[in-house]
Amino acid sequence: MALRKFSILAFLKKNFDFITGVLGEIGLTVLIMGAALAICLLLVFVKSVI
Amino acid sequence: MMGGILLLPIIVAVIYREIDTIPFFLIGASLAFILGSLLNHFLETKKEMELKHAVVMVAVGWLLAPVLASIPIWLSNATASYLHASFESLSGFTGTGLTVATDIDHLSHSINFLRHFLQFVGDGIGIIVVSLSILGKTKISSVLAFKGEAKELGIRPSIVRTSRIIIGIAITFLIVGTILFAAAGIKEGLNPGTAIFDGLNHSMTGYATGGFSTRSQNLLFYHSVWVEVAAIVTMIIGALNFNLHYAILGGKRKEILKNIEVRILFFSLLALGFLVSANLIFSNLYTSPDSLFRKGIFHVISGQTTTGFQTAPPQHFMLLWPVFSMIVISIAMILGGCANSTSGGIKMVRIGILFKSIVREVRQTLLPRSAVVRGTFHNIEDTPITDTMIKGAAVIAMGYIVLFTFGTMITVAHGYSVESSMFETSSALGNVGLSSGITSPSMPFVVEVTYMFLMWAGKLEIIAVLVLMGFIILGLRKGIKK
Repeated sequence: MALRKFSILAFLKKNFDFITGVLGEIGLTVLIMGAALAICLLLVFVKSVI
Repeated sequence: MMGGILLLPIIVAVIYREIDTIPFFLIGASLAFILGSLLNHFLETKKEMELKHAVVMVAVGWLLAPVLASIPIWLSNATASYLHASFESLSGFTGTGLTVATDIDHLSHSINFLRHFLQFVGDGIGIIVVSLSILGKTKISSVLAFKGEAKELGIRPSIVRTSRIIIGIAITFLIVGTILFAAAGIKEGLNPGTAIFDGLNHSMTGYATGGFSTRSQNLLFYHSVWVEVAAIVTMIIGALNFNLHYAILGGKRKEILKNIEVRILFFSLLALGFLVSANLIFSNLYTSPDSLFRKGIFHVISGQTTTGFQTAPPQHFMLLWPVFSMIVISIAMILGGCANSTSGGIKMVRIGILFKSIVREVRQTLLPRSAVVRGTFHNIEDTPITDTMIKGAAVIAMGYIVLFTFGTMITVAHGYSVESSMFETSSALGNVGLSSGITSPSMPFVVEVTYMFLMWAGKLEIIAVLVLMGFIILGLRKGIKK
């Protein structure tokens, strides 16, 4: 019965802040990784030029 | 409390049919219950606890808990001696991750789970936090003990409610981390059972910024970029402030970009990552972008978040890595992550306060004498920088530098190179766990005991240790006078 009443949309609406918060924190880590990878690419480029 | 922690791995022992390890946990738990009852009986007082008593209680508690948790580790022969078992247990509780276990790859699942669980409970959540949330004590003594454990949070007025929120946040990210690690493990060909077990354990130690691994080669075992990405996600999330987690999960998403600690962490990781990567590429050790990222950047993140996950063998640090990179990573380990997080080190907010106070001093000198320069920083809310804050940050930073010098000198005196000694000392003091190979079952006794002291002092942010020493000296003086 409880499962039948479960709506994924209602669940997402109810926990919107929480879910976007978790995704936001993961986003921050992805941002750091992206910036770090850009640094690595830049260094390899500089080394190849030198 | 400790008894309960030591009983949980029995579930793992039953699942993996490791019946022979169950008595080790029962013996450890029984001794913990007996000692707890005796201490409760003899030390109970009707007097209200003062801050100094709470700090001493926490400092002693952080020594007693590892002593008890080391019993199953020692009985299972996971380490060669009781001292090694105590080192392993203290390294677990403080979230350091330096290991002296003899054969991690062949440890029983239950003992391995205990090692990781100690990091999750000890460093990921905090012993006092767990005690408060379970026992529900809201007396002033609990608040003071909470402070003694270097956690000063203002999430909720009730300390019990705050403790439960901390546990809720930890469990949320434990689930997220387990899914990431397990998915990466399955992608790399591990069977789902092993991937989930390894994933759970690495998620516990990643979030706790502890760094223990189920593999003797640490994360190098997997040779997987996906496992490393999962590790970076859990390490950085673990290094963020609990107050910040609470604000972000509660809907204040913009806080993530405004927060002083996040900003300093972001820029220091990139700046130190740049220095290490540049040094590594120009010394021709790693020359491709992916190897620079997976060896250079990864170890800077692992070092500064004070986790200690490793994707290079310890001997590479000692024998191959340039001295400059070793020193930069040592600095990262001492700087540490955010305050009120699972990470160690001096902490970002203190670095921010010290930096802003220097800027304030310079501005004050340049402006006319009558001008008043005020400094503020944004950490959930705008906070003015006071002289007390600057003094507190400076004292702790100074304490770290003194202990770092002490530990390095002791290690160098045993014949190790200066850079390896600095690296390993920073790792122990900052509760990191990256190793250049000094920490091993054959390490000298004095170095082992020194690192145990550094791990303990680093976890308690030094002040608690000084208070305990002052308490002992005062007690001795009174005893001599009588």
